[in-house]
Amino acid sequence: MAILEVEDLKIYFPIKAGIFNRTVDHIKAVDGVSFAIEEGKTYGLVGESGSGKTTTGRGIIGLEHITAGSVKFNGKDITNKKKKTKAISRDIQMIFQDPYSSLNPRKRVRDIIAEPLRNYENLTKQEEKKRVQELLELVGLSPESILKYPHEFSGGQRQRIGIARAIALKPKLIIADEPVSALDVSVQAQVLNFMQDIQKELGLTYLFISHDLGIVKHMCDDIAIMYKGRYVEQGTKEEIFNHPQHIYTKRLVSAIPDIDPSNREKLFQFRQEVQEEYDESYNEYFDSEGLAYSLKPISETHLVALPEKG
Amino acid sequence: MEMNNMNMSSQQDSAKSPSGLKILWRELVRDKLALVSLILLILIIVFVYGVSFIMDEKEIVKVDLFAIHEPPSEEFILGTDYGGRDVFGQLIIGTRNSLSIGFIVTLLSGMIGITFGLIAGFFGGHIDNVLMRILDFFQVLPFIMLVIVFVSIVPNYTILAFSLIFTAFSWMGIARLIRSKALQEKELDYVQASRTLGTSNFKIIFREVMPNISSLIIVTLTLNLASNIGLESGLSFLGFGFPESTPSLGTLLSYATNPQTLEHRWWIWVPAAVMILVLMLAVRNVGEALRRATDARQRRG
Repeated sequence: MAILEVEDLKIYFPIKAGIFNRTVDHIKAVDGVSFAIEEGKTYGLVGESGSGKTTTGRGIIGLEHITAGSVKFNGKDITNKKKKTKAISRDIQMIFQDPYSSLNPRKRVRDIIAEPLRNYENLTKQEEKKRVQELLELVGLSPESILKYPHEFSGGQRQRIGIARAIALKPKLIIADEPVSALDVSVQAQVLNFMQDIQKELGLTYLFISHDLGIVKHMCDDIAIMYKGRYVEQGTKEEIFNHPQHIYTKRLVSAIPDIDPSNREKLFQFRQEVQEEYDESYNEYFDSEGLAYSLKPISETHLVALPEKG
Repeated sequence: MEMNNMNMSSQQDSAKSPSGLKILWRELVRDKLALVSLILLILIIVFVYGVSFIMDEKEIVKVDLFAIHEPPSEEFILGTDYGGRDVFGQLIIGTRNSLSIGFIVTLLSGMIGITFGLIAGFFGGHIDNVLMRILDFFQVLPFIMLVIVFVSIVPNYTILAFSLIFTAFSWMGIARLIRSKALQEKELDYVQASRTLGTSNFKIIFREVMPNISSLIIVTLTLNLASNIGLESGLSFLGFGFPESTPSLGTLLSYATNPQTLEHRWWIWVPAAVMILVLMLAVRNVGEALRRATDARQRRG
């Protein structure tokens, strides 16, 4: 059974104008997104800036108001914040994009990591300290650093503190909102591999939000491509990378860099072809407003936003 | 083990966290005016509270018809007023009263304003709207007039009652300032993170957001203190402050409305005027140094 089911999720932000501040229109940040994540898998959500992938993640965890649709965790409806029990909010945690602003600069590492423990578990000071030290060790930081402040750490180390905080309660689902995009490449690999390790160790499920296709290829089992709040294509990793059907996906996949210089010419030509195809068939794949059509299944797992034929 | 921990944390404290305090200290040392002001302020406070402790207020306010308008002498360091009361004693006790009122009003209005502003800013939306309209209501009330009405109704008021009525009308500025900062702060990721970790709103407001705007709070309160010290003197000068049985800087000043006193009996009003000026300037100088210390671009040290 799927651990997380999202059905026709819509998150609209009102545009207010006029003297009475009436709502004149909506920005459709997320417009009818549906997916399901199996336990223990990593589901990748890819898209350009402003495509609504982060909003989707924040909507699921309850940081944004959901306009319509439903979110189910382990079969229980958690769309409404009030229906969410303590046990469920404990099982869903989030890793934030920016390791610099996601840690309170006025708190010591010990207090940062112990925050979720203090909210959900009754531990004595000693037990709590031990748990924090264990968690720090787990994320590869020295247990002695519990008395330091966030500004004494590098970006990568801070992100690990953020991860330690997210896994402190042994959640079932972690929403990772571009967890490595603020880090440099060498640290990215470290953090990603570490995330995979703890996934195996703790049996975590990830909703992995990213704009970096290389990372998604490395991390995810299933992938969805988002564009302007809608899904463009959804499928397994192989389907998306080897048989992209939508022109937008093709263009994205062709843009993945290759480090082999002998392929340079070939790749350049390939990209040009894809670009030409994109320019030619843009009107076929997107409707009059430039939005993607609704998804059509082309195999059991592969869904593509194709226009109605005929 | 426990001891060890304690030691470690206190060591860390002195090594790491007071970087803010250190910056402050450097700023104060660099700004000689602020340093002198601070020392002067501490001296005045210690002196005033110390001396007023051993003074007998009843004795000072007792009218003595044989010693009217005495110039400064051995017996009366600063002479006497038209009731033969010792001006020096009145000055000390008046300063103590002004300082006490300043401190109490600053603290109370700070507490109300900070709580109000944090709640309005943090929750935003409708709660913010309702709270800000309440604040607007308080702001349009004619402050001085209400205080005068209050003073005429209540026959025998104390320092505390006086402070409370002032507090009721002076928390709005702080609340506005804190609200605007809280509006910014709540959008930051660490606040969002606390929400996803199950921390209650109350805890987020006072444990996460408030420490992060503490520098703004300290600076605002210090600068407010400067103006609050002068509050009581202003009203007493107008005749709506403390009665003559309670010594006050404002009462001493108001004697200067008599041209005779103004011209020939300087010892009655000059010390009080200088005291008010020095106190307010000193607090303001320290406050300005604090303000600069919180903004890296304006720092001198």
